[in-house]
Amino acid sequence: MTDSTPAPKPLRATPTDVLAATSSADVLITHEDIDRAHDRERVWHTRSQRGFRSRARLLWLLVGPGILVMLGENDGPSMLSYAATGARFGIGFFLPFVILTFLMACVVQEMTVRLGAATHRGHAELIFDRFGPFWGWFSMIDLMVGNFLTLVTEFIAIRAGLGFFGIPPFVSVLAAWLVLFAALMAHRYWTWERVTLLAAMFNLVFVPVALLTHPHWHAIGSALFTWKPLPGGLTQDTVLVLLADIGATVTPWMLFFQQSAIADKGLTTHDIRFGRFDTMIGAALAALAALATIIATAPLFAHGMAAGNFEAAEFAQALRPFVGQWGSTLFALGMFEAGMVAAVTISTSSAYAFGEVAHRPHSLNLPFRQGKSFYLVLILEAAAAAALVLIPGIPLVYIVLVVNVIAVLAMPPALLFLYMLVNDREIMGDLVSPRWANILALGVVIILIAAGLLFGISVVAPHALAGIGGS
Amino acid sequence: MKNDSDPGSVDLNSIVASLEPDQLISAKEKLHVPRRRLTGAEMILFWALRIYLVLMFGVVLYQVFTTVK
Repeated sequence: MTDSTPAPKPLRATPTDVLAATSSADVLITHEDIDRAHDRERVWHTRSQRGFRSRARLLWLLVGPGILVMLGENDGPSMLSYAATGARFGIGFFLPFVILTFLMACVVQEMTVRLGAATHRGHAELIFDRFGPFWGWFSMIDLMVGNFLTLVTEFIAIRAGLGFFGIPPFVSVLAAWLVLFAALMAHRYWTWERVTLLAAMFNLVFVPVALLTHPHWHAIGSALFTWKPLPGGLTQDTVLVLLADIGATVTPWMLFFQQSAIADKGLTTHDIRFGRFDTMIGAALAALAALATIIATAPLFAHGMAAGNFEAAEFAQALRPFVGQWGSTLFALGMFEAGMVAAVTISTSSAYAFGEVAHRPHSLNLPFRQGKSFYLVLILEAAAAAALVLIPGIPLVYIVLVVNVIAVLAMPPALLFLYMLVNDREIMGDLVSPRWANILALGVVIILIAAGLLFGISVVAPHALAGIGGS
Repeated sequence: MKNDSDPGSVDLNSIVASLEPDQLISAKEKLHVPRRRLTGAEMILFWALRIYLVLMFGVVLYQVFTTVK
C-alpha cells in the first residue's frame, strides 16, 4: 500500500478505514476474499524467499492478465487480418507496422496495470464512480457493442477453423460454447487463468507454419529495419487493412479486461513491476505470432494469388502447396484456438464490466450460486454471438475487418477515460503517470485519431487519398 | 466478522492480513471512489470524442451500405 503517500491523500480505503469496517459485526468475509487471500499468501511467502528459483516462482505466480490480454487479442479477426495482410501486401510495410502497433498496446496496457493494482477496482467501476453514470453508460455501451461484435467474429474464426476439418458449423460453434462453459467450472480465478494461458500459448502454432514456408530471412530483416512503402500506395483497401491491423492490437475490451483481471487476481502496488513484465511478455509472444502469420501467408502475395476474401479454412487450403498438409492443419487449428481463447477472455471482460456497473458480485472466484449474474452474462453473450454466426450467407471476412475498424474508432474515447484516471492523483497517489508515459499515451491517441480520420476520408472521398500520398 | 463460505474452515484474521485493506469485498462495497467535477476543457474533450465516435460510426455504416449495394 502507498498509505505513506504525501498529500493529496489517495481516495482509496486506508488501513484505518478498513480496520474500522472489519471490526464491525456487519463485515462479511466472502468466498471471493478467501480464495484471493490464499493466492496472496503464496505470493507473500514466495516474495520473502531469496534466490533465482523463488524469483522465477514469483513471476509464475504473478503473470497472467498481461499475457492473456495480448494473446487474447491475437483473436480470430486479428489472425485473419494478419493473414489477409501477408497475402495481399507481403511483408515489406507491415512487419514493422505490426511491431509498432504492439508497442502502442504496451503503452496503453501498462496504464491499466497501475490503475488496477493501485485501486483494486475494475475499469468500468472506476469510470462510473469517478465520472458519473452519464459518461459511464457511454463507455459501457461502447464496450458492450464492441465486445458483442468481436465475439461474433470469434465464432466466425472458430467455425472457419474447424470447417477445414469438415466439422459442420453448428457442431463447431456448439462445441466452442461448451468449452467456454467448461472453463468456468472451476470457480477459481487461478485455475481459469492457468487453463486459459495454456490454451493461449497455442497461438504460437503460427510460428512453425511460417517456418514451413522457408521464409527468406534476408528479406524479413530488410523489411524490419528499412520499413518499405505500402505496395500499391494508399487506397481504400489498404486503409481498411491498416486499421484492421491496428484494431488487432489495441481495443477497448483489453483495457477493461486487464484492469478487472488484475483486481480479481489481487495484484497490489508491490506487483506492478511484474505486471509490466507480464504485459511485455504477452506483447512479445503476440507480436511473434502476428509476424509469423504475415510471413506464413506472404507466399500467396509472392505468387500473385487473390486472397482478398479468403476465410480461415481457405487460407489453410491455399497454403497447402507451400506448407504441406501439416502446415495447413496447424494454420486451421491456430485460427480455431485464436477464436476460442478470445471468446473466453472477451465474454469475461463483458461480465466483469456488467458486474462492476450493476454492483453485482463479479469474480471468477465466485461459486455459481453467488455469481449468478456474472456467469449468466458471460454465457448468454457468448451463446447469442455463437447463434448469429450460424446465419447462412454472412460475408464473414468483411465483417471481421469492419469489426477491427470499429475497435480502432472506439479507442480514443476509451483512452481518454484511462488517461484521466491514471493521471488522477486523488486515486493514484504517487503512481500517476510520469510525463514520458503521458507523452507516449497522447502519441497513441493521435495515431488512432489520425487513422480513424484517414479511414473516414478513404470512404467518403476516396479520390482525396491521392492528395495525401495515395495512388 | 462473518464468513459466508464454510464457517470454521478458515482463519478469518489470516484472510484479512493477507489482503490489502481495500481488497476486501466488504470494504470495496462500503468505500466508493468519490465522483470528480469535470472542468470545462475536459467536458469539451469528452463531447468532441463522443461526436467523433458517432460520426465515424456513420462512416462505417455508409461503407457497409455501399459495399452491400
